[in-house]
Amino acid sequence: MNHEEQIILYAANQLDEQARADFEKHLTDCADCQADLLLWRSVADEINASDSLVPAPAQLADSALEVIHQPNKLARALRSTGQLLRMQMLIIHNELWVGSAALMVIFLAMALLVERVEVLYFFAPMIAAGTVTLIYGSENDPAAELTFATPISPWKVLLARLTLVSAYNVLLAGCATLALLLIIPPQALGEFVLGWLAPMTFLSALALMLSLWIGTSNALFIAYLLWSAQYASLISFGEWFAFASPWLETYRQFWKNPAMLFIFGFALIVFALWSSGRDQVQWRRSIAM
Amino acid sequence: MQTADLAIHWNSQETQPAMTQPTDDLDLIHRMQAGDDDAVRDLYAQYGHRLYAYALRLTDDPATAEDVTQNTLVTAWRTANKFRGDGRLIAWLLGIVHHTAMKAIRSTPQFLDEAEETIPENLPTPEEQAQVKEEKRWVRDGLQSLSPEHRAVLELIFYQGLSLNEAADVLKCPIGTVKSRLSYARQHLRGVLSRTEENWR
Ligand SMILES: [Zn+2]
Repeated sequence: MNHEEQIILYAANQLDEQARADFEKHLTDCADCQADLLLWRSVADEINASDSLVPAPAQLADSALEVIHQPNKLARALRSTGQLLRMQMLIIHNELWVGSAALMVIFLAMALLVERVEVLYFFAPMIAAGTVTLIYGSENDPAAELTFATPISPWKVLLARLTLVSAYNVLLAGCATLALLLIIPPQALGEFVLGWLAPMTFLSALALMLSLWIGTSNALFIAYLLWSAQYASLISFGEWFAFASPWLETYRQFWKNPAMLFIFGFALIVFALWSSGRDQVQWRRSIAM
Repeated sequence: MQTADLAIHWNSQETQPAMTQPTDDLDLIHRMQAGDDDAVRDLYAQYGHRLYAYALRLTDDPATAEDVTQNTLVTAWRTANKFRGDGRLIAWLLGIVHHTAMKAIRSTPQFLDEAEETIPENLPTPEEQAQVKEEKRWVRDGLQSLSPEHRAVLELIFYQGLSLNEAADVLKCPIGTVKSRLSYARQHLRGVLSRTEENWR
């Protein structure tokens, strides 16, 4: 048995009676072990004295339980998302909610009156595009300075507002669609919904992206022009424009292709979110202020 | 080292051999597994002082030691079903303290400087010596100037009453490392002692 270890266990009171007695016998004639014993006894005394003086904090069990019962990451993320949405809901102008609902009622009435679903096809995306151009930037945001002073990154703010407004737009158009069941057969419903949802997504995304870079009114003008262009009849402008007809046909097909509209729409939204924090956009914002 | 497993512990109230589980400990673990909040309070009442003392010994900073102890209770709660009962509960808990404290030390740069093994140069003046008991002073300085790893071994064996095997489990190292750290600590403390004695002359 190695004395160096033996002596430590002896000083730490970890030897059984037999080993203890044996070691004490050895200790009487071994000066090295005696010196080591003094050393380890001092260490043991010092450690025990200082540790028994240490006051264990009183409230640690309760504060640990607080941590234990804290909601997990997902629940916390959901809660902060909810808070962000509520906060942005308050910032968006009330006129936006009321105005777009009023417009939707007018165009719905018109559609029912003339018994043409195309009225809704045409106006629902335009209403939606109009609302999203109003959700971002100092010209629309009464609390713009506050918005940019918060630690929440701009793209999150933009996404929160876009989510709120888009959900509202889809809800409005959905309600109008249900009312249109008066004039369309129920089995046509799915196709009808896709008919306005896809152009609405793309047109809104386009209008949002443009509004970030060139301002609300310019964005609205361009978006509405591009949207209306598919209904233009070039022939009415005279023979001169007839050569452009095949291109116009391709352009019309684009607005009738849901897959393309969704893909490009989401790409534009991603670009808009990315550009919400860009310098050019910031710069335009500061000019507008 | 068969004697290492024999347990007449320096500072422990219980006198059971190391490898049997006291019924209180099993009860605590079962209640934590069942999600009983009071089990955490009882665990802290039973072992809180020892856990905090070890955390303080490692970190040398009361605020950090508090965080470490709190996180240990949280970890113990969350991993209670991983405790298989093949060692003592206190050894398992100290293992969590050790892991948590080492993480805290590594993430705080100033600890690393303090942890460097230097012999303290500011030895007490003769006036101070008159006030402080010299033999206390050199041990304290000697322990302070050891690295946290070396202090940990001494703390586990002398205060916490752990066997060399249990200490190796807590430190997640082979028992040979525990022995070599003890041997290093002995050399180091002897050095401090002899330097202090020279200074006294
Ligand atoms: Zn000897």
